[in-house]
Amino acid sequence: MTSSDATVVQTDEENIEDLYEHAPCGYLSLSPDGLIVKVNHTFCQWTGFDASNILATRFGNLLHIGSRIYLETHLAPLLRLQGYANEVALDLILKNGDRLPVLINAAERRDEHNQPLTTRLMIFNATDRRRYERELVDARTAADTANKALQDLNATLESRIAEAVASRLKTEESLRQSQKMEAVGQLTGGIAHDFNNLLAGIIGSMELLLLNAKKGRLDAVPRYAEVALGAAKRAAILTHRLLAFSRHQKLEPKAVDVNQLIGSMEELIRRSIGPVISLEVVGAGALWHTLIDPNQLENALLNLCINARDAMPSGGRLTIETSNRWFDDFSAKERDVPPGQYVLVAVTDTGTGMPPEVIARAFDPFYTTKATGAGTGLGLSMVYGFARQSGGHVSIYSEMDRGTTMRIYLPRHRGEIETPELAARVIRAAETSRLETVLVVDDEPTVRMFVTEVLQQAGYHSLEASDGLTALKILGSNARIDMLITDIGLPGGLSGRQVADAARLERSDLKVLFITGYAENAAVGNGHLSAGMQMLAKPFTIDELSAKLSLLLE
Amino acid sequence: MSVLARNNVIVKGQRAARAIVFAHGFGCDQNMWRFVAPAFESEFTTVLFDHVGAGRSDLSAYSREKYSTLQGYADDVIEIGHALNLKNAVFVGHSASAMIGAISSLKDPDMFESLVMVGPSPRYINDGDYIGGFTASQIEELLDFLDNNHLGWYAAMAPTIMGNPDKPELVEELTNSFCRTDPQIAKHFARTIFTADNRAELARVTARSLVLQCSDDAIAPDVVGEYVHQKLSNSTFVKMRASGHCPNLSAPAETIAAIRDFV
Repeated sequence: MTSSDATVVQTDEENIEDLYEHAPCGYLSLSPDGLIVKVNHTFCQWTGFDASNILATRFGNLLHIGSRIYLETHLAPLLRLQGYANEVALDLILKNGDRLPVLINAAERRDEHNQPLTTRLMIFNATDRRRYERELVDARTAADTANKALQDLNATLESRIAEAVASRLKTEESLRQSQKMEAVGQLTGGIAHDFNNLLAGIIGSMELLLLNAKKGRLDAVPRYAEVALGAAKRAAILTHRLLAFSRHQKLEPKAVDVNQLIGSMEELIRRSIGPVISLEVVGAGALWHTLIDPNQLENALLNLCINARDAMPSGGRLTIETSNRWFDDFSAKERDVPPGQYVLVAVTDTGTGMPPEVIARAFDPFYTTKATGAGTGLGLSMVYGFARQSGGHVSIYSEMDRGTTMRIYLPRHRGEIETPELAARVIRAAETSRLETVLVVDDEPTVRMFVTEVLQQAGYHSLEASDGLTALKILGSNARIDMLITDIGLPGGLSGRQVADAARLERSDLKVLFITGYAENAAVGNGHLSAGMQMLAKPFTIDELSAKLSLLLE
Repeated sequence: MSVLARNNVIVKGQRAARAIVFAHGFGCDQNMWRFVAPAFESEFTTVLFDHVGAGRSDLSAYSREKYSTLQGYADDVIEIGHALNLKNAVFVGHSASAMIGAISSLKDPDMFESLVMVGPSPRYINDGDYIGGFTASQIEELLDFLDNNHLGWYAAMAPTIMGNPDKPELVEELTNSFCRTDPQIAKHFARTIFTADNRAELARVTARSLVLQCSDDAIAPDVVGEYVHQKLSNSTFVKMRASGHCPNLSAPAETIAAIRDFV
């Protein structure tokens, strides 16, 4: 307090007057009709007006337009109804044109007749508070908005999840559909290609046959007829394979002890995979029986083992395991088979493994990762077709550079088992031969007959097999076999090339003659035949066959 | 919810008598008429109500779309009139409700035989030769002020609602029961009123009318009251001694006398 102030404050009256004039708030008194009749110094100081400018004017005139309307519509009625109003926020207009945010407390004084005498207004500078309130309001608005957004999010959570799942399912479905279409395209393309080749052979031969016949060269007629017949037969083989894939192959199911079946094949498999790969067979005790076509299971196993071998070019371990499995509703649904009991045959290699994109397509017909001619692309699709047709399932588990496990699940059968039929008789007969012995493999009996006749006339002993599996069984025995004459395209998933390769693992000096209906170079390795291998294109004459025999067996 | 509950309609006075409806304007509720309406209870059926968004009306009935014009409020008045089976009644409207009454009389000419307009304005914004009392930018500043004055509004109009949002029963005990308005609705009501132009409707009103014009009314100046009187085909103009915008509160006796003289 300054010394001059000290001199001003002398009496109580003066003290109160000073408090009124210099209080840290504005004071106004209004007449009953709303005119300002008294104003303190603080208010004048804040607004910049002299008291003379303020007196006898309406309080509303000192307010910003919005506040003036608010005063009339809200503060005035409230004051009149209630007798007071607290903390009403208004904006004063200062002499310099600026706005001053204030809070106003108002109280009416009435006489004994309840008639208004005066209205007292107390005015606080609310610059900071109103700014602070503004921030609070903004914060609350932001919180409300966030809360609302959260509520909306929660409210729609379920439907959004359902939407996402539906969209995902739709995407997966369309992906599946497009993969299916791709497979169908691949299948039809492959079929068309193969049939075109065969048809070209048939048509060409028939044309040549016609041309020669017209010229009276009847001796050439059988030759062209044979070529045409060969091509037509291969077309039949192709349809046979397709039927197997499309599960319309005629199966001859029998109750089978899978352990026993594997046991009978073990030696054959061992020979097929060669010495750098060790074979381990782990048959479960008390393995259930299953009702399947044993020949098909043999084919399937051999296919899987040969694939495993190809995945382990520098050696490894091949394990064949059997066990009993029980699929509950969930795991059955996962595998698209009925729930229940299954016999599992698992073939595991320690090879290169397959990336997911290969696994996804492994069962597609004509899909192969092998070099052209090394595989038909039908092997796994036939395994798949067999398993599905037998009421079972095939699955692939693979890790890159770790290996692959192929599992065939076959439904349990509770009936008695039958002894699997083997090519034992043939093998026993062959074991005693002292003559140079040739194994002739062709699914067409007339071809086998023709070739074996030529062989017998040339002084060779001959054995016959109509498919790759039977051929391998014979080759896996102790029978004397000096030479293999085989068709390239064979039923049962093994090509003549695969039979020859498997046989040579054990019989490295085995001579091989491939016979084929057309220039099937690709199917035997793009023309790069190993030593001791020859190819003879059908049709061939007795002389041509004899020449090849001499070439190979000399 | 019934119309009567929606608008918190309070009926008093003589049941068989002619009805007189009192409607509040922007900034308050039916309490606006608490010094005036009782004076008519001995001769009339008095009807008081709160517009949706004010007083004890049903806030959930509020629709921004419906109440974006005065037509929406007039529709409510008509519904109340039908619910009470009003015929040849008197409609006393303060401020914005003066025009709501005028529009209602056009919608159902048999419902209201007489209109009392207290501080009426068909348009607040000046328009060419027409003087409404405010420029467009001033009205925008008003709406801006209302928008940016949340806490001041809450503090003045519903202080304990802010203090005890979880205990509404406490609000009933502690809050003054006067002039309760929902700030969000009130802001929209302000926009509806202060940007409205109902001059065309005014010219079509045929009901006999009384225009009560206050002195020094900052909201509806004399010139606007005179304009209203001029446009109405069958009106009486009374310039009151009372000043301000709310003679029903500041000068109830004068207001009662003027209405009684007219009806």
